[in-house]
Amino acid sequence: MTEFGTDLLERTDTMLDVPWEVILWDDPVSLISLVVRVIKKVFNYDTAKAERLTMQVHHEGKAVVWSGDKETAAAYCVALHSYALGATIQRSQ
Amino acid sequence: MSEPFRRVDDRIIVDIPLTLREWLAAMARTTAGDAVDISTSTHHRLLGPIDPTVDHDDPLTQLHRQMTVEGSLGRFIATHMHESLSEDDAEEWIRAFQLMLAAFSAERAIMTAEDRDNLSQQDHYDLITLQSGVSLMIEALDS
Repeated sequence: MTEFGTDLLERTDTMLDVPWEVILWDDPVSLISLVVRVIKKVFNYDTAKAERLTMQVHHEGKAVVWSGDKETAAAYCVALHSYALGATIQRSQ
Repeated sequence: MSEPFRRVDDRIIVDIPLTLREWLAAMARTTAGDAVDISTSTHHRLLGPIDPTVDHDDPLTQLHRQMTVEGSLGRFIATHMHESLSEDDAEEWIRAFQLMLAAFSAERAIMTAEDRDNLSQQDHYDLITLQSGVSLMIEALDS
């Protein structure tokens, strides 16, 4: 195996280990009560955690609401989108 | 004056005027049409990629998301004249109201609270109507 190939494999392995995040973005038309309810429903979080994340989104413009493997992150993101909430996925920074 | 939505056992009673039902159904049909038209801001708002570093979702995710949007709006249109809803249909109404709110917001380029606060009187009234639908249905479902 070439050195280039080894490097590439190591880099790929490292990238696979990096978790993905679900980012929930603020929007000026969705009600806070709706956002809290959807976070609780989608992630099965308790009310206190859902409210804390919702207020973080409201005040800071966005919040990481979940992190883990890419497939699950995408599924959660799609679930948030089913309520028309602005959500994206990204690799952990 | 009675509540627009109220729970009776496992049903949600809908007590809203015919004109409001028709207005909401028309908006749902427009939103459903715009959602699949890639030239509209509604399409980008409702079906833009979940990973912003790529141009498109993978085809399976794309199809799933499109079917979810069409499913919620379609269920709302199919039940908009009903006098009562199952809990599942009431949940679809919340999703449909949210989808209509997002489309409304995308069409008017509402990006900030300031944009929202500067809406015309009619648009502001329409926004409040949709938000009230979400809020009152949550109250009824969670009671």
